Amino acid sequence: MSVLTQQLVLGVLIGGLYGLAATGLSLVFGVMRVLNVAHGELIMLGGYGAFWLAALLGVDPFAALLVVVPAALLFGALLYWGLFSFVVRAHEEARVKNSLLIGFGLALALHALAVRLWTADERAIPTPYSGAVLSVGDLAIPVVRLATLAIALGLTVALQLLLAHWRWGKAIRATAEDWQAALLTGIDVRRAYVLAFALGTGLAGAAGTLVTVAYSVSPAIGLEWTLKALIVVVLAGLGSMLGTFVGGVVLGVAEAASAATFGGPYREIVGLVIFVVVLVVRPRGLFGR
Amino acid sequence: MLEVRDVEAGYGDVRVLAGVSLSVAPGEIVALLGPNGAGKSTLLACIAGLTRFSAGSISWEGQDLRTVHTHLIVERGIALVPEGRRLFGGMTVQDNLELGAFAPRAWPARRVALEQVYALFPVLAERRRTTVQALSGGQQQMVAVGRALMAAPRLLMLDEPSLGLAPRLVSAILDALATINRAGVAVFVVEQNVPAALRLAHRGYVLEGGRIVGEGTGAALMADAHVRRAYLGPLAVRPSGERGE
Amino acid sequence: MTAAGRERRWAVVVLAGLALLALLPLARPRDDVLNFVFLVLLSITLAEAWNIVAGYAGQVNLGHAAFFGIGALVTRMLWMEGVPVLAAMVAGAVTATVFALVIGAAAFRLRGAYFAIGTLALGEILRTTVGTVLPEISTLPAATIAGYRLTLRYYLALGLAAISVVAVAMLATSRLGLGMRAIREDEEAAEASGVGTLALKLIALALSTALAGLAGGLFAYYHISYYPAHGFGPQWTFDALLMTFIGGVGTLQGPVFGAVLYVVLKEYLALHWVDIHLLIFGALFVAIVLLLPGGLVQGVERVRGMLGRRG
Repeated sequence: MSVLTQQLVLGVLIGGLYGLAATGLSLVFGVMRVLNVAHGELIMLGGYGAFWLAALLGVDPFAALLVVVPAALLFGALLYWGLFSFVVRAHEEARVKNSLLIGFGLALALHALAVRLWTADERAIPTPYSGAVLSVGDLAIPVVRLATLAIALGLTVALQLLLAHWRWGKAIRATAEDWQAALLTGIDVRRAYVLAFALGTGLAGAAGTLVTVAYSVSPAIGLEWTLKALIVVVLAGLGSMLGTFVGGVVLGVAEAASAATFGGPYREIVGLVIFVVVLVVRPRGLFGR
Repeated sequence: MLEVRDVEAGYGDVRVLAGVSLSVAPGEIVALLGPNGAGKSTLLACIAGLTRFSAGSISWEGQDLRTVHTHLIVERGIALVPEGRRLFGGMTVQDNLELGAFAPRAWPARRVALEQVYALFPVLAERRRTTVQALSGGQQQMVAVGRALMAAPRLLMLDEPSLGLAPRLVSAILDALATINRAGVAVFVVEQNVPAALRLAHRGYVLEGGRIVGEGTGAALMADAHVRRAYLGPLAVRPSGERGE
Repeated sequence: MTAAGRERRWAVVVLAGLALLALLPLARPRDDVLNFVFLVLLSITLAEAWNIVAGYAGQVNLGHAAFFGIGALVTRMLWMEGVPVLAAMVAGAVTATVFALVIGAAAFRLRGAYFAIGTLALGEILRTTVGTVLPEISTLPAATIAGYRLTLRYYLALGLAAISVVAVAMLATSRLGLGMRAIREDEEAAEASGVGTLALKLIALALSTALAGLAGGLFAYYHISYYPAHGFGPQWTFDALLMTFIGGVGTLQGPVFGAVLYVVLKEYLALHWVDIHLLIFGALFVAIVLLLPGGLVQGVERVRGMLGRRG
């Protein structure tokens, strides 16, 4: 029984990161109907950024967030201007299709770049406290993973507050609801798009750093995390960042439960099956409007 | 002062506006009447910068609006209440209203403007934290008008504000427009409810088939034979929106 | 010349090219030359197959690898049990098509992006399942390895490429093809004008997956040893996507150009930098989607247009 509980706890711990990974994708898709399937690659790059800072400068990975996130915000703005700003010129259905294709090309290029720069090997960031474990009864909770869960939750809450109270946060939400009405109230929708995309990329960078410190990073995690994020977005629906976070935790727990029941290799399949089922049965997801 | 001169607009081969000219002077209430599909909404969209027009000119306070980006039109002093309200459904009344003051010119004065809107529509004050989706049609229309007012416009444009509203609410909205106008805001309103519109307006235009076919003071249009036959006769649209017999 | 006429003309050109390639083994080239052309031919089949759903019915199917993999799996299993390879390949294709039709009915309820990511997920489900259930490498028995003849597989690849070109040409010039193109342009309008969109999409999917299944079967026949899950890897889908779009989606000759360019560049660059071809193709792909959606085919037409005006 406690083995199952242990597995479920680990599932919650990674689920929080699934949630954070999905918030960036959800924000961008919700605001501008751009499905950036290179999101996982952005997460990967964030992870490698933290890895470089640790390996070259000895920066603690949690501290590295302070560098990686701003860099990711900037990169997101540049990526939007250089690439996705052209996609939003089309109407909605063409936008989704084109962003899918462009995201695909981008993912391919970034993946190849990563292999070039860092090889296909897995990299991790060992720290003095990597092995620390919190014992709660029979459970052994890795401290680093607990910290990443806390930070992921914190970032999600911060994002939700930002969208609720910041002037441009409200503008972003308004644009997501009805971009023409937003224009009529004086909102520069293009700026809302840049901000949303930059935020999304910043969140990806943060997620990447947390993934790398808690687990590891390799070029292959790009596709893997894009799929995780997609599954969570479809599961939780658009609109609520905290809802997306919870969706991530649900996925993490579902994976853990299925691995415990059917065996390790089936961990990946359950998420994909949930994904397909939700897509067909209830495209709006659990929390979406 | 809004000056529309010989404006033409359309989609592909369809000519929606075939040379429209009209004007709205400061402090006036001007009504635009006409059957469905005449191009009234298109004209408002052209003025507000949502749609391109292929010929003619639109100028506001002496400046050409053709090259102004949509979101900057509000900054210039024109606010549009679009057909169907187009509120931000998932957001609260207060958020919707506040966003109306998004333009840099209006933003600093938003708290004062908000109180003024709540004074005009007290029922919204009670419901300020309610999600707009949950409001009734009349209340949503109040939010839509209020949102436009938050921009402190000098010209308020409305596309079918009484559509789908009960008579009592139609009066409330139109009374609010009269109050707004008394405060110095010019009003340009597209309306199907002809009697109510002409009672409210100083002047009116009639748009049919993409052209202006009539203009005059409110009283003159009310008395006009064509207008009476087409819009005020037995088959005309009644104030409540139902067809009369 | 009408669009149909152009497709027919190109089909003839490509088939003529294939006919020339049929003479290649007579020149007794080195094995690696034959292997290289084999890869090009396989890629042509794979890309033409993918193009049927994308270019003619307008749906981005990211589960293409699943049908390639099913074809490979069934073919390999039957062939190793003694079934003649051609029959095994047909069985593989049929299995792939049946599977496609079953999920297609549900999958096509999803629009646009949802269809794309849904099919991607399905492909991944299959790959992970096969990788779990059949983790061991599949190797041909020694007797078969001894009797391995590359030229036989070469001609099979040639035949398959020819079949796919003919199939696409026939589709493009048929009433079905016209309907599919209407769906690609504007699905709602097509629906409104009486085009049976679901039926046509399923037909396109069936044809596409049958060809992909055959290609998979060929792959299983060709490789001496490989991991069964490899046939389901997303790279088969992505390669087909890249080749088709870069060459020119929706045309008959586009996937052929794209396949040739892709394999040539990949093999050449692999000598120097392993994955760099993906970086180049990724960037090229993005450029094409943004600037030249019709791919190289459109590019060539534009250049011709410019030269024509000068002369």
